[in-house]
Amino acid sequence: MIEVRNLTKTADTGTHRVEILKGVNLTIPRGQFAAIMGPSGSGKSTLLGLMAGLDAPTSGQVILDGVDISGMEEDALAAIRGRKIGFVFQSYQLIPTLTAEENVLLPYELNGNGAGDGAKRAIELLEAVGLGDRRDHYPVQLSGGEQQRVALARAFMARPPILMADEPTGNLDSANGSHVLDLLIELNKREQTTLILVTHDAELASRADRCIRLRDGQIDSDESR
Amino acid sequence: MNHGSFSWRTAAKIGWREITASRSKFLFIACAIAVGVGSLSGVRGFGRAFRHMLLSEARTLMAADLSIRVFEMPTTEQIAVMDKLVSEGARRTQITETVSMLSSPDPLDAPVLVSLKAVDPEVYPFYGELRLEPPGRLPDVLRPGAVAVSEDLLIRLDLKLGDIVRLGNNDFRLASVVKTEPDRMAGSLNVGPRVLMSREALDATGLIKPGSRAAQRHLFRIQPARQQIGAVRKQLRAAFTEGLIADYTETHPLITRGLNRSERFLSLVSLIALIVGALGVAATMHSHLQQRLDSIAILKCLGARTRQIVRIYLAQTVLVGLAGGLLGCLVGAGVQAAFPLLIERFFPLAPPIRFDPLAAAEAISVGLLTAVLFTIPVLLSVQRIRPAVILRRDHEEPGGAWRKRWRAPQPWLAGGAIILGISVIAAYLAGGDVETRLRTGSMFAGGLIVSLLVLAGVSWALLRGLRLFLRNPRWKLPSALRHGIANIYRPGNQAQAVLVSLGIGVMFTLTVFLLQRGLLTQMLASAPPNMPNVFLLNITNREHAGLEKMLHTWPDIQGKPELVATVAARLRRVRGTPIEDLGLEGSMRRFRSARSVTWSAEARPQTDVTAGEWWTPESAKQFQENRVCVQHDTAESLRLKPGDRLEWTVAGLDLSATVGCIYKSEEVRMGGNMDFVFGPGSLDHLPLQYFALIRMSPAKVASFQRASYARFPSVTIINGADVLEIIQQVVDQIALVVRFISFFAILAGVIILASSVAATRFRRVREVAILKTLGASRRRVIAIFSVEFLVLGLVAGALGSLLASGFSNLLLVRLLEAKARYDLAPNLTAVLLAALIATLAGWLASYRLLGQKPLEVLRNE
Repeated sequence: MIEVRNLTKTADTGTHRVEILKGVNLTIPRGQFAAIMGPSGSGKSTLLGLMAGLDAPTSGQVILDGVDISGMEEDALAAIRGRKIGFVFQSYQLIPTLTAEENVLLPYELNGNGAGDGAKRAIELLEAVGLGDRRDHYPVQLSGGEQQRVALARAFMARPPILMADEPTGNLDSANGSHVLDLLIELNKREQTTLILVTHDAELASRADRCIRLRDGQIDSDESR
Repeated sequence: MNHGSFSWRTAAKIGWREITASRSKFLFIACAIAVGVGSLSGVRGFGRAFRHMLLSEARTLMAADLSIRVFEMPTTEQIAVMDKLVSEGARRTQITETVSMLSSPDPLDAPVLVSLKAVDPEVYPFYGELRLEPPGRLPDVLRPGAVAVSEDLLIRLDLKLGDIVRLGNNDFRLASVVKTEPDRMAGSLNVGPRVLMSREALDATGLIKPGSRAAQRHLFRIQPARQQIGAVRKQLRAAFTEGLIADYTETHPLITRGLNRSERFLSLVSLIALIVGALGVAATMHSHLQQRLDSIAILKCLGARTRQIVRIYLAQTVLVGLAGGLLGCLVGAGVQAAFPLLIERFFPLAPPIRFDPLAAAEAISVGLLTAVLFTIPVLLSVQRIRPAVILRRDHEEPGGAWRKRWRAPQPWLAGGAIILGISVIAAYLAGGDVETRLRTGSMFAGGLIVSLLVLAGVSWALLRGLRLFLRNPRWKLPSALRHGIANIYRPGNQAQAVLVSLGIGVMFTLTVFLLQRGLLTQMLASAPPNMPNVFLLNITNREHAGLEKMLHTWPDIQGKPELVATVAARLRRVRGTPIEDLGLEGSMRRFRSARSVTWSAEARPQTDVTAGEWWTPESAKQFQENRVCVQHDTAESLRLKPGDRLEWTVAGLDLSATVGCIYKSEEVRMGGNMDFVFGPGSLDHLPLQYFALIRMSPAKVASFQRASYARFPSVTIINGADVLEIIQQVVDQIALVVRFISFFAILAGVIILASSVAATRFRRVREVAILKTLGASRRRVIAIFSVEFLVLGLVAGALGSLLASGFSNLLLVRLLEAKARYDLAPNLTAVLLAALIATLAGWLASYRLLGQKPLEVLRNE
């Protein structure tokens, strides 16, 4: 479960301060598929990043499975992310000097228990996303859609209980985007994860159990289906 | 906590992939390390060979590795000590030197006072060549009843080879002329022409009787595989408490000083080259990590801990460091191979240079350690990278972050590790005794800390100043200039880091140049190329005026001849205490005998007054009593200070004087470091003797000798031209090595400087694309960036040159025992060159950006 209490985030641009989030309160129960929507600049990516522990809030708390991660030191946050959170970015964010298979294996190598099934799971995941035969290819040799599918496989590698996706189809054409989304939801159902998705696409958001709308750094509406 | 299976192998794999993806950048890092390692292994390698070569020449001046001079025959115990050394592998020979009267067959000729030297012709000399005319082996020439003589004796008495002369009880045939005698200057009792004979011949003369004044010189050639000079010296010192012991490094003060200083200089320079190389590594790794922010952020998103990420970049540094180290050894071997070719043109001897694997391993280790040390702060910065950089790039942390950074222990620990590491490496490379090593280490650490603080502080102030300057509406600058200056303090430009690394680079490179200049100036001033090389002794008061006139009008004499007045004076009391009661031991007992003293109207050039004050011709006129200046070592032996009263006996007359000053002199010339130098008028009415110093070409000496003997038969002429030529050669060789290494280090420094600026290239990629999209012409883009490079170069150059002046003078005075100096010209040149190099380097690295299509760049964002 993820709980957010009175979360604020301000940023300094050098000449003035910007209030990105202004006191957000939110709880997402285990297993829920929640979509966060809002216009550009509403703070949705920032909120997602704070919930994932990618950044520190200016004030407020983020509680992940009962643990307050807001003031945690970076290495401790990394450990939590490695075990509990899978992340999919808008611009794929693969390591350019590693192959598809090596990119997928990374979470296992960083956090795995050394039980030895990592390589097998990586291949299974790549096959699940339709790229079993491209596993030795580098990101530069894959199309945008293919790169995002590799990123999907990587996100599920460590069997995280929570998956967060920031505009996962934002850089893809509609056909690829649709395919990636289907894969995401299918894998999510199979792995039984909590899925939090940031999007500005209403059709995509309509497939979620819950839709949270942000405006000017605050929650504007919160509808469950 | 389980850190998974992220092994060093995985880290190395990721690191290696990044290396192959950015080959030119890592090739540069390898070269930066190679420069430092190459200069270190090259300098150490041929430094050893060079010392060996120089000392071979130095050995010829002594004709041995070590000599001990005494005035008595050795006791049984002393003989036992020497025999023990021989049993351990040393070779020994004894030389007896004395003076005697030699007479020719012509009864009308006055006898001549000669310097006799009796040797074992089968063994002498151990080093160097004794050239005879006609050429021949010494054992064949010095048969019973035969002697070899210097040419001036033949001239003096109008003799030729084959003639018979009388020495003591015996007649001897003149068998050969001694053309060069390698250890002529090392001997004693050099008062007249040379007569060389065998020990049997000397015995036959009957001149050596108990109480005769003869000097015994025991020469040793040690077995280097089994014996150390230091240990041998210690054993002999214990056995011969009164003897004067010298080894081959002390044959001439010029050589000793020149060697010691140049060795220290070479070590310093190689250390500087290493530091500058390491700075280049750190600057490039820093820039590399900046470019890898995204990858590092992704890894953190995926759960990587700082330790795991640091492994990747540490593995990279080590891989590239080893590659650089190996490359550096090749460079060092190349330098060692090239050097003999360089000096071959100037000097006949070439050092036997062999590749030393131990020296190479040492250089690689030191190079790698230095590179890793300087990369530590860069690696530690990984911890501060927040994964949110992926989401949002350009916002600064809200106030307080820099305070948090200051309070965090890691930066202090990293800084401390670097300072400590560099101090230890500096101390290790410096060589010498513990005190010298500690001094060198702490000076380097101190210099580095001060420089970093000054550079960081000034660059921070400059950036603030620039920001305020540009915001002031009064200053209406052209937009390209404004944009260029604004670029310097824009967020993410890392201008402060570039200024610091550029500034340190300029500082160290200029330090090398200034050190080299200071050292060579000092060496040449104390041993100028036109040093006197012919000496005239025993000039009486009566002959003085006439000889002086002859010297001033003789056409072959180069420069101005010098006549120095001396008188033999015996010191009787110091501060009222008789000299016998002063408790003088060992060689200090020489002050009990009569020694030559002189006078001078004023201080000679190269004189350093360490206490009191030397008189001028004007101030001397005011003296109510005699003043005397005392040489520093003499003053230490006799515990003298200005104001002390001294009393002498000179030719039965009393002479007293007050100590006016204590002095040291770098000048190496006969009479340059006399124990006592009196003020004008102090030695008037005393039976003065003179010696003269002149310089002429060796080929012209003989004709001068003939003319001098004809008019002044009792004046002895010592032709030191050949010997001094060796000394001058040695000094010139040292100067050449110093220049060569300095050039190499300076060149390396320039390359590193260029790279600091070039490393900032990647920041400009996006900016150029946007400027071009908005309609900026190439010329405009060039103007903007040129302003940025120029300002960075000028500021770094100015700061670096100020710091270099301070640092180089500190090293000159404290470590190289030379004089401090300040030259405007090299400093100004350094500032301008730094600006030029920064601009050229910036453009060489960035010119391709001008041709890149904007869309290609922006699409990749």
